[in-house]
Amino acid sequence: MAQLLLAGRRSRRRRPMDGGRFAVIALLPSIILFAVFGILPAYNLLRMSVSDVALQGGVFTEVLVGFGNFAKIPSDQTGARTMVNTLVFSLASVVLTVGLGLALALLVERSRVFAGLARRVLLIPLAIAPVVISVIWLLIVDPNIGSLNKLLGNLGLPVQSWLGDGASAMAVVIGIDVWHWTPLVFLILFTSLQALDPEVREAALVDGANSRQTLRYITLPLVMPMVIALCGIRLLMSIKAFDEMFLVTGGGPGDATSLVSLHIRQVFFDELNLGYGSAYSVMVVLAIGALVAIGFGLRRLRRARAAS
Amino acid sequence: MEPWQWTMEIVLLITVAIILIPMAWMIFVSLQPATGIINPRFTASFSLESYIELFSSGTPYLQQMGNSALIVAGTVLLSLGAGSLGGYALSGFRVPRGITFPLLGVAGFISIVPPMVLVPGLYVTLASLGLIGGNLGLVLANTVFQLPFAILVMKVNFDGVPRSLREAALIDGASEFEAFWRIILPLARPGLASVAVFTGVMAWNEFQFGLTMTSGGSTSPLTVGIASLVNPNQVAWGQLAAIGVVAALPIVILSLVANRQLVAGLTQGSVKG
Repeated sequence: MAQLLLAGRRSRRRRPMDGGRFAVIALLPSIILFAVFGILPAYNLLRMSVSDVALQGGVFTEVLVGFGNFAKIPSDQTGARTMVNTLVFSLASVVLTVGLGLALALLVERSRVFAGLARRVLLIPLAIAPVVISVIWLLIVDPNIGSLNKLLGNLGLPVQSWLGDGASAMAVVIGIDVWHWTPLVFLILFTSLQALDPEVREAALVDGANSRQTLRYITLPLVMPMVIALCGIRLLMSIKAFDEMFLVTGGGPGDATSLVSLHIRQVFFDELNLGYGSAYSVMVVLAIGALVAIGFGLRRLRRARAAS
Repeated sequence: MEPWQWTMEIVLLITVAIILIPMAWMIFVSLQPATGIINPRFTASFSLESYIELFSSGTPYLQQMGNSALIVAGTVLLSLGAGSLGGYALSGFRVPRGITFPLLGVAGFISIVPPMVLVPGLYVTLASLGLIGGNLGLVLANTVFQLPFAILVMKVNFDGVPRSLREAALIDGASEFEAFWRIILPLARPGLASVAVFTGVMAWNEFQFGLTMTSGGSTSPLTVGIASLVNPNQVAWGQLAAIGVVAALPIVILSLVANRQLVAGLTQGSVKG
């Protein structure tokens, strides 16, 4: 009897356990990769942020110093400027890419002639390297050989030093980002527009709504959740921006277009200030974490209000 | 057609032009002699001198293209392997929460933070493993940042494969791995294609890891080689345009051939990642 019970328990256990053990083994490559090249670097970062790190002869020496590195953050003027730049850049980039992407998606959905062409062409900026996009735009905005100044010169207009002052350099950098990423917003919104049930909109038209009313009261509310999600996604992406600024402006003139990723690279690899750079990085991660928490909080609030 | 429809088509045509003209200009510049590029007027001629200089002996660019190709191959293979195994494990198996929660936490963390934030810590890790300045280190760094996407896409694909197929294979005497490898994996081919195309494109385009983890020259991927041509003192504009065309060409061809996989990767990668 006892044996039967034991056998029964064992066999009841074994079926899911076998699969479970296989699943754990199947997860091992991912677990190892994440642990060694995700968790360990994050741990390194945390440790360096509370240490005084020196690089001598290719060897790192670390001395624990507590939170002194974090205390330096408020007095880092370039770091503060970088934060403001990132905020300006992100807000402009999110608003423009989502707005233009939504408009394009609505246009292409109704277009009959150029829709297919537009869909294929809009994919290219998303697929080619950001470094190549930098090259493309350098050939346009360079004050000496750029096509924009050639055009102005040939029209008899005064040429501009597009990257020469802070405001226009920032405008160029935002413009490049909009050129690069509006297609992504378009692609995702176009896909979700096509996934809408056509009968809903047909029913509205049959009920006597004109096409503007259908757009305002049917189509837009239906894609709005995706539009809001895209604002969040684009915000996170714009905080990550690096390649184009690094090559087109180098963060300049001065630090007028320096974003957080550029500042981190500079502190680490040019100034070799590893302790402070880690503290600054940790603060950026915390700020992003706060943004994500706020985003999910807002979403929960919206859902709760919609449910009540 | 009504007037508003015409307006709409014209707006679309202008959009297409805004995307295409800057790219066409790069191709045009790459085919001009140096005198034409620095001429303040628009001149048009045809010359391959930029391409010839770019690939003349002593330049590192061919070697860098080889490095990029190796990094792409390694990243794609590793992402496919780890991603399909991981995605399969998360699709319907009972995995202890003590494993899945930290795993998903790290995956989310990696997808959200700027890569540059992790670069210093990653540099220290790779340095302690002796992987700085080589292709293998870049393969591993690239793979880790593509893996959350690969696991997710593969999980979604495996979710669509009926579980009864696995059970039938097990009853027929196959091991768990054989059931996965011979029966389930071939049915998830669309997912494999998306993951391969998308991670390949991302690895080819990757710049930040290449910039920080290699010392330039023949050890670097192609993107770092392109950046090295943007020298503030003297830019070789023709060569810069030519190398831009060379780096973009395989990707543009791929975007035409594997349009569907690339779109799937781009939309899923950003919405779910």
